[in-house]
Amino acid sequence: MTRARLFPQPLRHLQDRIATGIITAGGIGVLLAILGIGVFLVWEAAPLLLHSGTDSLAMLSPLAWGTLKAALMALLFALPLALGAAAYTAFFMSARLRSRIKPTLEMMEAIPGVVIGFIAGMLLAPWVERHLASTLMVIVWLPLSAGLAGLVWHLASRRWQRRLPLSWAALWLIPWLMAMFILALWLTPLVEQTFWDGDLRQYLHVAFGLDYVTRNALIVGLAMGFAVIPSVYSLAEDALNEVPRPLMEGAQALGASRWQAVVKVALAAAGPGLFSAVMIGAGRAVGETMIVLMASSNAALLSASPFEGMRTMAAAIAIELPEATAGGTTYRMLVLAALLLFLFTFLVNTLAELVRQRLRRRYQHLGNTS
Amino acid sequence: MKWLKSAMQQGIWPWLCAGCVALSLLMLGALLALLLTRGLGHFWPSALDEVTLQNGDVVAGEAVRDLPLPNRAGSERLYFTGNRDVDDARWRWVPVDTIKQQTRPAELLRLKRRTWGDFIGYLEAVEVGGERFSGHDAWEQVQQALPLPAPQRARFQLILRTPQGDTLRQPLSTVLRIEAPNAMHVGQKLKAWGSDVWQFLSQGPRAANTDGGVWPAIFGTMLMVILMSVIVTPFGVLAAIYLNEIAHQGPLTRLVRIGVRNLAGVPSIVYGVFGLGVFVYGIGGSLDAWFFDDALPSPTFGTGGLLWASLTLALLTLPVVIVATEEGLARIPDAQREGAVALGATRFEMLKRIVLPMATPAMLTGVILAVARAAGEVAPLMLVGVARLAPQMPLDGEFPYLHLERKFMHLGYHLFDTAFHGEDVQAAIPLVYATALLLVLIVLVLNLTAILLRHHLRRQRGSEC
Amino acid sequence: MLASRHVDQATQAPVTHFPADQCCLEIDQFSLAYAGKPALQRLTLQVPRHRVTAFIGPSGCGKSTFLRAINRLHDLNESVSHSGEISLEGHNIHAPEMNVTELRRRVGMVFQTPNPFPMSIYENVAFGLRLQKRLAKRQRDDIIEWALTSAALWDEVKDRLHRSAWQLSGGQQQRLVIARTLAVQPDVLLLDEPASALDPISTLKIEELIRNLKSQLTLVLVTHNMQQAARVSDYTAFLQQGELVEYGPTDHVFTNPRLQRTENYITGRMA
Repeated sequence: MTRARLFPQPLRHLQDRIATGIITAGGIGVLLAILGIGVFLVWEAAPLLLHSGTDSLAMLSPLAWGTLKAALMALLFALPLALGAAAYTAFFMSARLRSRIKPTLEMMEAIPGVVIGFIAGMLLAPWVERHLASTLMVIVWLPLSAGLAGLVWHLASRRWQRRLPLSWAALWLIPWLMAMFILALWLTPLVEQTFWDGDLRQYLHVAFGLDYVTRNALIVGLAMGFAVIPSVYSLAEDALNEVPRPLMEGAQALGASRWQAVVKVALAAAGPGLFSAVMIGAGRAVGETMIVLMASSNAALLSASPFEGMRTMAAAIAIELPEATAGGTTYRMLVLAALLLFLFTFLVNTLAELVRQRLRRRYQHLGNTS
Repeated sequence: MKWLKSAMQQGIWPWLCAGCVALSLLMLGALLALLLTRGLGHFWPSALDEVTLQNGDVVAGEAVRDLPLPNRAGSERLYFTGNRDVDDARWRWVPVDTIKQQTRPAELLRLKRRTWGDFIGYLEAVEVGGERFSGHDAWEQVQQALPLPAPQRARFQLILRTPQGDTLRQPLSTVLRIEAPNAMHVGQKLKAWGSDVWQFLSQGPRAANTDGGVWPAIFGTMLMVILMSVIVTPFGVLAAIYLNEIAHQGPLTRLVRIGVRNLAGVPSIVYGVFGLGVFVYGIGGSLDAWFFDDALPSPTFGTGGLLWASLTLALLTLPVVIVATEEGLARIPDAQREGAVALGATRFEMLKRIVLPMATPAMLTGVILAVARAAGEVAPLMLVGVARLAPQMPLDGEFPYLHLERKFMHLGYHLFDTAFHGEDVQAAIPLVYATALLLVLIVLVLNLTAILLRHHLRRQRGSEC
Repeated sequence: MLASRHVDQATQAPVTHFPADQCCLEIDQFSLAYAGKPALQRLTLQVPRHRVTAFIGPSGCGKSTFLRAINRLHDLNESVSHSGEISLEGHNIHAPEMNVTELRRRVGMVFQTPNPFPMSIYENVAFGLRLQKRLAKRQRDDIIEWALTSAALWDEVKDRLHRSAWQLSGGQQQRLVIARTLAVQPDVLLLDEPASALDPISTLKIEELIRNLKSQLTLVLVTHNMQQAARVSDYTAFLQQGELVEYGPTDHVFTNPRLQRTENYITGRMA
C-alpha cells in the first residue's frame, strides 16, 4: 500500500499526457515547417508578381525553355531504357536474377549528381565533341544490335537457346553489347566518309547551320538520363510487377504470345502506374541542378538545337542567387523560379501518388473478383 | 524461313528490353570502373620516361595520354614534366614521331614539394652544413634525413639537376617525399601507393587544390552530416510517431502523408533557396542585428555557415526519415500494441517500451538514407554555406570549439569547384577523380548499410509470423 | 461446484443469476457499434467468479468484440460507440473515475495469436511488473518464477530465461503470454481463442492450464471450438449476430439446449 502511494498512478498518466502533448506539438510543428517552404516562396515572390507580373514571366522564359529542353532530352534518353528494362525485369527475367539486378539498378539513384555531372562535363563532353559521329552511331546501333541478338538467338540451335535463355539475357547481352560498341566505333569512319563527307560536325554546320558547343543538350540528356533511369525503372517495375498474374495468363490462354500479353494486357492495366513513374522521372529531371550546371554551357539561349547548351532554372538559382542582393529584383526572380520548380514537382508528384493509390485499389478489386 | 516466323511471332521486343537492362548495367559498371581506375590509379607511382627529340630537346616526365593529331597522321603525347619553377609549365605535348630516343633511367627522381608542385629530375649532390656528398652517398644521406623532424632537416640542401641540365638548390625541409619510381619494385610501389592514398585522405589541399588531400572536405562533410542527423532524427521521428500513432487516421492525415512523401521529390535547390531566405537572411540577419552588431556590416550568422547548411539539409532529408520511420511503425503488428496496453501500460509506456524499440532499425535506416542523401547533395550547400577553401576548420581548440557560423568545405563542392574553377584543371583532374570515387564510395556504403538493415528487419519480422 | 449445479428443478431452466459475492462481471444492456454498425446488442449476463465462462458462436457474432470491450481496448479506436454498463466487482468500468490502466491490469487479456514482445522471456514477464511499482530484484524474480510456474512453463524455460521469447514454439509463446498476464495478478483473465493458432498437443496443454487457473481467478474464454468449450468451461454463452441467445451451465447448454438455434449450431446443422 505504501508502495502504491510512493508511485501513484496519476504520475504515470501525467507523464502520458505530457509525452502525447510533446509528440503532437513536435509532429504538427514539423509538418508546419515543411508547409512553411511553400509559404516562404510565395511570400518572397509575390511582390514581383504583383508589380510586374507578365514582365517577370517573360524574363524567366529562356530559363523555363532551358529547363524544359534539358528535361526533355533526359527523358528522351531515359524513358525507353527505363521502361524497357522495367518490362523485361517484371515479365521475362528469372526471379533469382531479378532479386539481384533490381537493387543494383536502384543503387544507381544514390550516385551523387555532382559525380555524374563531373564525368559528363569533363570526360564525356570532350569525347563526344571529338567523336560526334561515333556517339550518334552508338546511340542508333546499340538498340538495333540487341534486336539483332534476338534474331540470331532464334536462328541458333536448341542447345544454344537453352544455354543462353531469354530469362538471363540481361547478363549475357552485356559482352554482346560491348562487342557491338566496339564494332560501331570501328565502322564509324567508314560511315562518316560515305554519308557526311568525313566530318559530321562540319557537315551539320554546312547543311543545317547547326553550331556545336562542347557542353550541350545532348550531353545533359545523356548524363541526366542516367540519373533519371533508376527512379523511373524502380517505380515502373513495381507497377508492372503488381499486375495480377491471372490477367496475363488469361491473355496467353487466348493464344497471345508472352510479349503480346505484356503489351495488350499488362501495359494497359499498369498504364497509370507507368504514367506516375514517368511523372516522377520528369520531376527529377526538372529539378536536377549539379548535372546541368556541370554538363551544359549555362548560356541562357532560346535554341532547340541538341548541340547547343541551355541554362535551367535550377542552375540559374545556383549560379546567380549567392550574388543577388536580398530583396532585389534578381533575388525575387530567382525565388519565383524556385517557386515554379516547387509547384511543378509537388503537383506532379501528388498526381503520380494519387494515380498510384487508385491503381492499387483497382488491383485489389481485381484480386477480389477473380 | 521457319526461324524468321518464330522470331516474328515471339518478337524481338523482349530482346530490346533485355538490352535496356544490359545497357543500364553496362553504364553503371563503366562509371564505377572509370572512377576506380582513375581515382586509385593516380596514386600508383608510374614510370618516368626521358625522351630525346629530333631537335635535341630532352623531356622527362610521366606520359599521361596520347591523342591523334588533328588533320594529319600520327599522334601527340602529353607528358607531365613538373618543374614549374624552372620552365614555367608542368605539361608538355610531344609529337610521337619526333621522338628519337626513349629511356627509363633508374636514377630519375620525383620530388613532392611543399611549393611549386612536383620536381622531376636527378639528384646531383647533398650539402649538410658545408659538407658535400654526391652520387650514391647523396642518396643515402637523403634517405636518412627524410624521416628526421623538420628543424634537423633544415640543415640539408639538395642540389638538383633538371633533365635539361639546369641545376637548382632545394632545402630538404620543403620536400615532402622523394621517390625513384623507375627503380622501385612492386612492393615498394604498393607501399608508396598506400602512403599516397593515406595522404590524400588525411591532409589538406596544396598547390591550389592540385596536390595534397581532401581531409578538410571530408571533415567538413562529416561534421555537417552529423549535425544534420542530430537535428533531423528527433524531429523526423516525432513527426512519424505523431502521424502514425496519435493523429486521427482521417482524410487529412492521409493528405498530409502524401504531402510529406512528395516533398522528397522537390528539387534540393528549392530547399537551398528556402535556407538562404529564411535561415541566412531571416534568422541569421536578425541574430546579427541583436547580438553581433559590433561586427556589422560584415555578417556573422547573416551569411552561409555550418549551422544553416545543417538545418537546410535537415529539412531536405526530413521526408526521408519520416517515411522510413512510418514504414517501420506500420509494420509493427497491432497485437504488440494491444498486448502492452492490455497489461496496463499507458500509451506513452507502450510507445517507449514496445513500439520505439521495435521501430529502431527502421529509424536507423531512415537516418542512414538521409545521411547518404545529404553527403551527396551539393546544390543547396552552394547557397547556404559551403566554401572552396575554408581558412579555419569549424571545429578547433578555440572557445566555443564548435563554430557554427563558419563556412566549411564539402567533398561534393570541392569536386565541383576544383574541376570547374581550378587554376590548373589538368593537374587537378586525377585528384578530382579520387574525390569523386571517395564520395561515391561513402554514399554507396551508406546505402548498402541501409538496404542490409532493412532486409534484416524484414527477415526478422518474417520469422515471427 | 457451487453454483454450477444449481438447476431449478421445477422449470429445468438453469440459474444464471449469482449472488453479489459470487459475481465477478456484470453486463447490463451493453451495446456496441463500429462506425454506426451494431456489433453487440443489449447483452445482459453475469459472469461468476473463479469459474470458466465460454463464449461460443459463429465468426463475426461479436464474441471477440465483447471480450475487448471488457478490457476497454476499444478506447484506441475512435469509431466505436457503446451504451449500457459493464461492471467489474460492482464498479462500472466506463465510469469517469475508473483508471483504465488499472482496469487493464486487473483484467488480463490473451490474444488469438501469441504476441510475446521482442525481448527476453524474463523481460516479457517482467514487463507488466515494471509498469506498476518498483520491486527489488529478488521479489521480482520470485513473482516471475511463480507466474511461469502457474503457466506451466517454468520447467521448459528456466534455463534460458534471457533468450529471446521469439525463439519459443507457438504453444510456449502462448503460455508465456499467459504468464506475463498472470504476473501482474489480475482478477479476470480474458482468453480470445487462445488455442486456435496452436497444434493439438499445445492446445491440450493450454486447456489444462485454463482448468488449473480457475482456483486463482475468473476466466472468460472465447472459442469457436465447441469441444473445447465443453471440455474446459463451467458456463457457456451462445452469441449470434451480436445477441446473447442462450446462457447457462455448460453441460446444460450442450446436452439440453433451450432453443432450437443453439442446438442447430452445436450439432453443426448451421452454415
